[in-house]
Amino acid sequence: MKRVVVDPVTRIEGHLRVEVEVDESTGKVNDAISSGTAWRGLETIVKNRDPRDAWAYIQRICGVCTTAHALGAVRAVEDALEIKIPKNAHYIRNIMAATLTVHDHTVHFYHLHALDWVSPIEALKADPAATAALQNTVLSKYKINIKPAAGFNFSAYPKDFPKGTTAYYEAIKGKVQQLIDSKQLGIFAANWWDHPAYKTLPPEVHLMAVSHYLNMLDKQREIVIPHVIFGGKNPHPHYVVGGMSCAISLNDMNAPVNSQRLAAVDTAIATTSALANEFYVPDVLAIAHIHAQNGSAVDGGGLAKTRVLGFGAYPDEPVASHRDFAAACLIRCDGVVENFGQGVAAAQFTELTGKDLEDSAVITESAEHAWYKDDEALHPWAGKTEPNYTGDKAGNKEKWENLDEDHKYSWVKTPTWRGKVCEVGPLSRYIIVYTKVKKGIIKPNWAEQIMMDQIEHVSQLLNLPAEKWMPSTAGRTIARALDAQLSAALEKYFFDKLIKNIGAGDTNIANTLKWDPSSWGNGEYKGVGLYEAPRGALSHWIVIKDKKVKNYQAVVPTTWNACPRDDKAGQGAYELSMMDTNVQVPDKPLEIVRAVRSFDPCLACAAHVYNTEKKTLSVISTDPYIGSGKI
Amino acid sequence: MEKYDSIWDMYRKKGISRRSFIKTCTAMTALLGLAPTMLPKVVEAAEKRLPVVIWLHGHECTGCSEAFIRSGAPMTSDVILNMIALEYDDTLSAASGEPFEHHLQEVIKEYKGKYILAVEGAVPPDASGGYCMVGGKSFLEQIKEVADGAAAVIAYGTCAAWGGIQAARPNPTQAVSISDVIKNKPIINVPGCPPIPEVMTGVIAHYAMFGELPPLDNKNCPKQFYGNRIHDTCYRRPFFDAGMFANDFNDAGAKAGWCLYKLGCRGPETYASCGSMRWWNGLSYPIQSGHGCIGCTSKNFWDNDPFYQRLPEVAGLGLGNIDKIGAVATGALAVGITAHLATSAVQKKKRDKKEAEKIKQALEEQDRQSKRKD
Repeated sequence: MKRVVVDPVTRIEGHLRVEVEVDESTGKVNDAISSGTAWRGLETIVKNRDPRDAWAYIQRICGVCTTAHALGAVRAVEDALEIKIPKNAHYIRNIMAATLTVHDHTVHFYHLHALDWVSPIEALKADPAATAALQNTVLSKYKINIKPAAGFNFSAYPKDFPKGTTAYYEAIKGKVQQLIDSKQLGIFAANWWDHPAYKTLPPEVHLMAVSHYLNMLDKQREIVIPHVIFGGKNPHPHYVVGGMSCAISLNDMNAPVNSQRLAAVDTAIATTSALANEFYVPDVLAIAHIHAQNGSAVDGGGLAKTRVLGFGAYPDEPVASHRDFAAACLIRCDGVVENFGQGVAAAQFTELTGKDLEDSAVITESAEHAWYKDDEALHPWAGKTEPNYTGDKAGNKEKWENLDEDHKYSWVKTPTWRGKVCEVGPLSRYIIVYTKVKKGIIKPNWAEQIMMDQIEHVSQLLNLPAEKWMPSTAGRTIARALDAQLSAALEKYFFDKLIKNIGAGDTNIANTLKWDPSSWGNGEYKGVGLYEAPRGALSHWIVIKDKKVKNYQAVVPTTWNACPRDDKAGQGAYELSMMDTNVQVPDKPLEIVRAVRSFDPCLACAAHVYNTEKKTLSVISTDPYIGSGKI
Repeated sequence: MEKYDSIWDMYRKKGISRRSFIKTCTAMTALLGLAPTMLPKVVEAAEKRLPVVIWLHGHECTGCSEAFIRSGAPMTSDVILNMIALEYDDTLSAASGEPFEHHLQEVIKEYKGKYILAVEGAVPPDASGGYCMVGGKSFLEQIKEVADGAAAVIAYGTCAAWGGIQAARPNPTQAVSISDVIKNKPIINVPGCPPIPEVMTGVIAHYAMFGELPPLDNKNCPKQFYGNRIHDTCYRRPFFDAGMFANDFNDAGAKAGWCLYKLGCRGPETYASCGSMRWWNGLSYPIQSGHGCIGCTSKNFWDNDPFYQRLPEVAGLGLGNIDKIGAVATGALAVGITAHLATSAVQKKKRDKKEAEKIKQALEEQDRQSKRKD
């Protein structure tokens, strides 16, 4: 038995460490631990501030899923104060959410995850002419044609296609050769390039993928244009409680939104669709297909086989309360599916209503194995915890050897649904919608039909039933690509709705009736903001009292997935996925980091703290005005 | 596309003499704060290799890395493959775990005194608090070790430059800026939450093109990017001067793109390039999208809240409530703004004078150095 530590796990957001116990003779992982190794305490920082400002602080939980937390925050405040936002603001927020999803998935696959599958060293063995031919094959064989909602389309033809010429691949190969000759590999330095898993794909696939890595590095920035138009910048675009700030006027070029600005968004959406349709989906499917034929990367399913959770995504029209959220959703991935790994017939579906969310028996978080004092499982509105850092197994606080799986070992807490751990994410959304449709619980709308068609297409391509390929490392990576393609179609759908609504004469962008805090009253207001973020089900919980934030908590996707074990509920999604993965070379656990990265870890999001009623944290003043007696 | 193996290679292809190249290296040595005896090493580095950059992540949200890869000019791919050798970066590097940490040690050794350290994020100064652990040790230990062999440090983003969001009250982890823990190295502060992408890559492009660090102001921020207030470069400034304001995010003033000052805009006290460069190659910036500036390049801006209260009402600026200064609101506004403008102008003048002196001294030193060498 060998204990292997990977720290830091790179190509993720934030600070993550994993430790696995591998049986060297069989490659079987007997135990695995996942530890979030940083904590910043943003939820403590937002306390006692103006709830209308909360989104800006909370947005800084993460700059990768930028806007996810801002959206969660404004929704939580609006839910607490019962503010219904105007249609335009709602459609714009949905466009921005879908923009984030496509962008985040694209960068995840090409720049964070791809190097687990492809290698620039292998690319050197490729024949550029054969690579050009392969590119054409990939486009003809692995594209998925989807049927988006009918609307107008200004884009005359897809503007972005992968280059399929010999000279292009010769140039890319030359650049890689130059990097290696210079002995300055930069970002490509020191990886386990000699790992046998890199031999699964032919050299031409490596060269094609490396060239797309570079191409997408320059292209991804075009996806975020809607954030820049509507929110002023990216990362961290601006929101306001009650709607958006980007006022609409068809009479003024000084206005944030007018015909020209909308045309810029439309062009960006067309580019986004092309990148998902012509690059991302074909590339992922080509790589996954070869691996499936080889029998590799179809492990790592873990918790996805047993339990997945979702809240529902993209409310079609504005809602005033979290109780109406799921019913309004276009993607009805609300609920929990258990035992999907045994097939749809054996799988069980349990609904998760808006009322359930308020129930302290349904959603809780505990800190049994996290570095906080209170171990009991508490509902997010009622939580209380204080940091209790204990270091590693031997009690070392500044330099770790091995972490202590029997006690506390992570800054991430353990969220549960009815006392059980769940996996969340794009794969979970696809599993839930697929199960609900197959069981006849819902009749698919146009967007859900796209999801069903995509799943059917992949099942046929891989020649594997959905319950086999979906809950796996490759399945998670594929679901993310499918989700990007779907989200690009949703961007277009909500853009069309926005245009129609503005065309009908509605230019409202913010509901400001309750903008002034004097209109709120001094009572206590509780709210929850829900959002299916790129990495999965996100919920932000706020308690407002006397016009200030009394308590704020974010239960984020990576908290669900990266959580440490719970003595009753068992291990979380990362740990179970690692334990469901076979390791070829224990000293170079490439399969382990590949499995973990298939979740697109976002650790800054995951590690957070509850309200601390009896807080003993040391506090230092960074506010230059506190000392001056001016407040 | 031109490809350069090294700065010397670039100079040669541009037909610049060896003498000028050595001169630049001399200037670089001086500007990097290295002893003149280090010159041969700087020349060697510039001759052979791309400048090595080590990028560390502390208490951060990775928003600065995301901003970095949004750069349109220069393109990010050109920066990381042709301008620098990014040998260690949590976000983009292929390697993980032990081989990655080993590589860091090798790079520190091989390029000692020559590499640039880029830092994203603040530092929790209590190593035993466990608030930020990397590779099984505290981030504080990591940054001190890496900074020790660095030629210069770039503090990317408001967290690295000033402490940022986690340092806002009550600062649960007691987080501090890079300059609070690294004292003996030249530090370039590039604040913003995040900074404009082209500002981030612009610092590196400047270094790659001119072989020296960009001119800095008295807060160690590159002058070309932080020299102007947003207020003075804002396309909505004429509305401010004319007293035309949006009072509500949904009113006629908001739709017509009038000044957002009354909705809390921090433009009048914020030094950044948002008004001039804007974001995404000039496409927009928060004010153009209808939201006031929150002052994200300023020190302690997170504690300068509430954000939707107009400036003079925010504690600490010492200007009083403008609506209460005079009986007529608009008249009072003029008084308040004039006072505000006057204060800013005096501050700016003082700052410029101090900087001018500093630069003069550096130039004289540079001159002396090159005379000695030639």
